[in-house]
Amino acid sequence: MKRVIEIKMGGLEIITDEEDELKTFVGSCVAICLFDLVSHVASMAHVMLPQKSDGLQSIVKKDIGKYADEAVSYMINGMIQKGADPKRIKAKMAGGAAIFAHESETSLFNVGQRNIVYLKQILKENAIPLVSEDTGENFGRWVRFNLQSGTLTVTSNLKKLEKTI
Amino acid sequence: MQKTIPALVTMLGEPVLHFLKDTQEIQVMNLDIVLSNLEEINAMSAVYVKCDGDLHMGALLYLPENKSKMLASQLLGRSISDELEILTMSSISEIGNILTASIINAISRDTGYKICSSVPGYAVEFFRTLLESAASDFGYESDTLIVSHVEFYGVTSNIPIHMLLLQNPSEVKKFII
Repeated sequence: MKRVIEIKMGGLEIITDEEDELKTFVGSCVAICLFDLVSHVASMAHVMLPQKSDGLQSIVKKDIGKYADEAVSYMINGMIQKGADPKRIKAKMAGGAAIFAHESETSLFNVGQRNIVYLKQILKENAIPLVSEDTGENFGRWVRFNLQSGTLTVTSNLKKLEKTI
Repeated sequence: MQKTIPALVTMLGEPVLHFLKDTQEIQVMNLDIVLSNLEEINAMSAVYVKCDGDLHMGALLYLPENKSKMLASQLLGRSISDELEILTMSSISEIGNILTASIINAISRDTGYKICSSVPGYAVEFFRTLLESAASDFGYESDTLIVSHVEFYGVTSNIPIHMLLLQNPSEVKKFII
């Protein structure tokens, strides 16, 4: 039976059942999804911020998706433990919007853009190809990953938008 | 609210009621508990003002988008057409700015803290998106947020204006030291 697992702000989930879907909502946060379709392992994190400032490892695992650096590291290790081949892991992501109108690329407010840039850097460092993305703009998105097809569906009720990447 | 309500009454030209709905400490992960069931039906016009200095606080002011045009019209003293979105944006931003300034002035006066506020940021979005973006501003400092919800209500116009004040728990403690 199909299960839709909703990921909360700063949360992270790993799935191995092809019937399962991962779902989250992002505004300035970014939904990063890693997957290995051969091993049927996928993971999604709701990243709020680029980097943990204190350098300490999170003890509480429930918000392990909060920082991009911790989230990606946890996702890769968790997926490998569940049978993923690191050479086959690919990434898709969505979100990182600049919601409030005074935001600019140089503004400290624009955490969305910083999340995107930092996540791309981490993926590059880990040799994980980013195969598609729907990022930036100024609206919130529902993001849904289907492990069976490897598709990421992005919808905005406000913009009457739905696309699959 | 001694300064905030008169400021709003003067701007709107009508009596204004205000209600402190609640103040609660919420895990950032569970912020969606403050979302109402209607949150994906009504888009909101919103302004976010970030306050920094001796005290870090965020003020998110929002009202239903259809009411925001009424509000802009009331502030300008004439009806506005759909094309004049910029007037709505600037009216709501101004209200956000003035209400936040009156709050931080009161805090400064009572505590001596020096607080600066940012340029107001405007958005039309569902409440979920607004809340998530405002919460990201606090993520580095704490896993929980103190959220205070105030509602202002124009008695004649029936325009509701909501304001969320967001703070880290450590910042709230500064009020009692």
